[in-house]
Amino acid sequence: MYHLRLLFPYIYRYRHRMIAGLLVAAFGAAVSALSPLVLRLAVDSLADGTIEPHRLLWFGDALIGLAVIDGGMKFVQRMLIAVTSYRIENDLRADLFDRLLSFDQMFYQQNYTGDLMARLTNDLSAVRQFLGPGLNGAATAVLTFLAATVLMMLVDPLLALIVVLLLPMVTIVFVAIGGRMRQAFHRVQNQFGVLSTRAQENFAGIRTVKAFAQEEAEIAVFTADNERYRKLNLHYVLLSGTLWPAMTLCLGLITALILLVGGQQVAAGTLTIGELVQFNAYLALLAFPMIILGWMVNLFQQATASLERLNDILRYQPMISSPSTPRLPPGYGSIEFRKVGVRANHSDQWLLRDLSFQVPAGKVLAVVGATGAGKTTLVNLLGRVRDPDEGQVLIDGIDVRELELAALRRMIGYVPQESFLFSMPLRENIGFGVATVDPARLDHVIEMSRLSNDLDQFPDGIDTMVGERGVTLSGGQKQRVAIARALIRDPRILILDDALSSVDTHTAAQILAGLRAEMNGRTTIIIAQRIATVRDADQIIVLDDGQIVERGSHQELLARNGRYAAMYRRELLAAELEREE
Amino acid sequence: MVHHANDDTILGKAYDGRLVRRLAKYVMPYWRQFSVAILLLIGAILSDLLPPLLLQRAIDGPIRAGAVDGVWPYFVAFVSTLLINFVFRYSHSYFINSVGQQVMKDLRVAIFRHVQYLSLSFFNRNPVGRLITRITNDVDALNEFLTQGVVMIVADLLTLVGIIVVMFVLNWRLALISLATLPVLVLIVSIYQRFMRATYRLVRQRLARINAFLSEQISGILVTQLFNAEERSRMAFARLSDDYMQANIRSVLIFAIFIPSVNLLAAIGTAALLWGGGNGVLAGWASLGMLVAFIQYLERAFQPIRNLAERYTVLQSAMASAERIFAVLDTEAEVRDPVHPRSLPTPVRGEIELRNVVFGYHPNEPVLRGINLHIPAGQSVAIVGATGAGKSSLVGLLARFYDVQEGSITLDGIDIRELKQAELRRHIAAVPQDPVCFSGTIASNIRLHNDAISDEQVRAAAEMVGAHRFIERLPGGYNHEVRERGANLSIGQRQLLAFARVIAFNPEVLLILDEATSSVDTETEALIQTALTRLMRGRTSIIIAHRLSTIRHVDRIVVLHKGRVVEDGTHDELLARRGYYYRLYQLQFAGMTG
Repeated sequence: MYHLRLLFPYIYRYRHRMIAGLLVAAFGAAVSALSPLVLRLAVDSLADGTIEPHRLLWFGDALIGLAVIDGGMKFVQRMLIAVTSYRIENDLRADLFDRLLSFDQMFYQQNYTGDLMARLTNDLSAVRQFLGPGLNGAATAVLTFLAATVLMMLVDPLLALIVVLLLPMVTIVFVAIGGRMRQAFHRVQNQFGVLSTRAQENFAGIRTVKAFAQEEAEIAVFTADNERYRKLNLHYVLLSGTLWPAMTLCLGLITALILLVGGQQVAAGTLTIGELVQFNAYLALLAFPMIILGWMVNLFQQATASLERLNDILRYQPMISSPSTPRLPPGYGSIEFRKVGVRANHSDQWLLRDLSFQVPAGKVLAVVGATGAGKTTLVNLLGRVRDPDEGQVLIDGIDVRELELAALRRMIGYVPQESFLFSMPLRENIGFGVATVDPARLDHVIEMSRLSNDLDQFPDGIDTMVGERGVTLSGGQKQRVAIARALIRDPRILILDDALSSVDTHTAAQILAGLRAEMNGRTTIIIAQRIATVRDADQIIVLDDGQIVERGSHQELLARNGRYAAMYRRELLAAELEREE
Repeated sequence: MVHHANDDTILGKAYDGRLVRRLAKYVMPYWRQFSVAILLLIGAILSDLLPPLLLQRAIDGPIRAGAVDGVWPYFVAFVSTLLINFVFRYSHSYFINSVGQQVMKDLRVAIFRHVQYLSLSFFNRNPVGRLITRITNDVDALNEFLTQGVVMIVADLLTLVGIIVVMFVLNWRLALISLATLPVLVLIVSIYQRFMRATYRLVRQRLARINAFLSEQISGILVTQLFNAEERSRMAFARLSDDYMQANIRSVLIFAIFIPSVNLLAAIGTAALLWGGGNGVLAGWASLGMLVAFIQYLERAFQPIRNLAERYTVLQSAMASAERIFAVLDTEAEVRDPVHPRSLPTPVRGEIELRNVVFGYHPNEPVLRGINLHIPAGQSVAIVGATGAGKSSLVGLLARFYDVQEGSITLDGIDIRELKQAELRRHIAAVPQDPVCFSGTIASNIRLHNDAISDEQVRAAAEMVGAHRFIERLPGGYNHEVRERGANLSIGQRQLLAFARVIAFNPEVLLILDEATSSVDTETEALIQTALTRLMRGRTSIIIAHRLSTIRHVDRIVVLHKGRVVEDGTHDELLARRGYYYRLYQLQFAGMTG
């Protein structure tokens, strides 16, 4: 119930449509309750035999007229309530996405992509169903029921009581069976999970299964799981198989009772035959709305469960956000790390420890070290992908946590280790981080990243679509697009996180030479596996297990004959082996 | 319908005789239950026809005649009809769904069994997710086809025919008046269906776009944030979401027109009955009860026509699923057992010989280009080489996950292609690169589902590889629950379990893909080393080595380069030669000795 409150502001936004929809529904209900009355008048006049044949047309016309008005009302009602439910869904989806955009990596590590997507589609859809068909149906049902009750009471209180008291039985049956169905369905889904996990594990581990000749044993286990699934499923299907017959039975029994009681009254002369027909018509009119009411209970339960899941997103407070009184960075681009420590999530393990260094504005820092040494973690602190657990990261002498987040990030051009491109044209991918793309600047960065070498290979040049619906770029091409995307922002700080790993040595050298000209005045951090990439840096640090083990220039480090020098020798050896083809 | 089914390629066929005949084979074992279900359905349809008729008889009989007690028999008949109908409907549901669920189970097991014996190349081509879909969604679609599709189409037609027959028997003039509206209904439904199908496709397309966008945005959220592109994403998402909403609103509009139109048609039908039937009552060729009964029959005739349109979609998706399922069932294993398999001479010694072996995953890109290698029984051999030299392909061939393109591989002098795969793999076990764990218990991960391996053997195996100590410390010991993919075990622990599994199965020949894992602590690393040494003792072992210490423990080292054996000898011999191995050793291992 609590979670329903989440919807109030959205409903309030569309209150005029909603209220209008309910008014129209009320009017429509009253109109539709009139047609059994017309039927009664027609039948009674026929029973008397007093009617002129041509006057029969009037009754027909009245029925058609009522259906036209009722249809018009139902149309307007749907266009108001159902359409509003889609609008609310749309608004909610936009707000949820907005929240997602502001969440930090911590959130994305804790939540699976598939689960988040399910919330923005399936859960929203459950809420929408409750607001649209649910409310729509419930309004129609309750109002029609009320209108019909009044009209029935006027005709015959006893018969009216039979209908009014017994009809809700249909709703109760629906809710009762529906509740058990939901439980059964839950069990079916659990077993389904077991079954697909079993198949998943088997297919993924098929090498092991085959290596140990376990196929028959696996089939036996799968068959047993399958048998359990079959039984649970059958139980569920049989429950749902009772639903319609049971409701048909309920409705039929009420009809039979009306036939007995009403029929006897007609025979005794206290009721007209038309009135009996009228009651029969009300039963037909109310049957569906009563079922809808039961369905509504289900929808409501699903919607509250879904709203709870949506609330998780709406109420999550990201750890990393702009400070309440942010400072603007002066914009020189000097970097300082002061005794920085970073822990792995929820553990005592240090990813970075006691890290201190300075990069004056405009200088180049290179970071080398084995996989898992903490290189990416280090650069992640600059753009506040995460915050340090100890110490400070300062840009132009200000702690990054005091800076306005957007302004901080605007200073940085980041080329991530895994070049992530979006399914959009190359031009938009490159211009992703700038408001407007200056054509001259675009040409310049394409040249700089040596993307120019490949441009004529793409079917539509710079307007070629990237991704599933377009061309698949090679690793090196992707990296170069990512470099161009960072450069076009003309950032004060450029971060290259192993950004040339898939680019061939020759092109990498070209790009580096070009960057060197551009690096003038731009603070640059290069992470690389290849010494060739980092040798010209002003300062090189060697990371091991989150700590700096060596630092200095290329020449200084070679002279130390330590880890860096060993890496260098191995690189030369590998190049030699490579040549021996 | 079968003949011009091919024209309808975009929407897909709704009926394909060949597929339906193949499906029918799976229903055949349950033909008795299936026939009972059909008979019950006919009973239900027939009993459904009675209530309006009883109403007519009651009105025209005792009610109009003023016989108060005369209403009772009709009441009793009415209630009995209802109860009988309920029993018919429920038992029909019971029988048809029992058959449906059985057939689904049989199909799932058939697919699983078939896939189980397909070659590894099949698994390389088909992502796991796709195979799961075959077993789940596609099979479910076939169930819909069986329980909702064919049977219910027949039921709808029967209901319609039944109502029409009853109408004509009762009063042909009123029947003609009633039937006048039905062609209009067919028209309305088919127009509605055409619009709705197009709109639903639009809705699905646009939802798919939202999903694709969301998935991409969530994966690339960091780029969006670091490049200050939140506003851009927000706008793009708003556009997609809005498109989706518009498509949905279109479906609301179509529905909002359709429902009142059908209701209006029903009103017109009733009006026509009132007018025509009213005249009949006045003229004496119809009774009041008949008029009431016809109004009810007309209402009941509407439902089957509305249903028929929806069933079409069920048929379509079922045919598409059947096509996909049979495609899997028609895939033949590339590695097959021989028709007349030979057996290995006992005891199996484990002598292996490769003669001029050529192999590649694609015909024109050989990975192994003529390997000759003789490994005497009991020898341990390390295969080394740069990435792409063909090391893991060699292991795949020895376990016969793939077949050689040229040359032969023999075990104790018998070509492995002449053996049953099951027999071969009882004697040659491969320990995969990524230690695989299954959900279950520690014990079930060691013995898999082979009940012939006793608890003692499981324990002995664990002790032998040094896994016993960590297992003891786990809550529940050997019954400790292992979660999916062994997520609650460390890589080192999983590796030890994989070793214990090998010991428990006790093969004569071992193939080990030994991956140096950076995330294993030194203590576990030492354990794994000891385990490996024990594993190799007394067995022919072929190990793809990534650890220096492993290489030092083997009898012999074979160096692969670009699919050929370039050097062969002991560690010391090869180092002394100062050739390819010497440099490879410098490159891969020198830094690790510390």
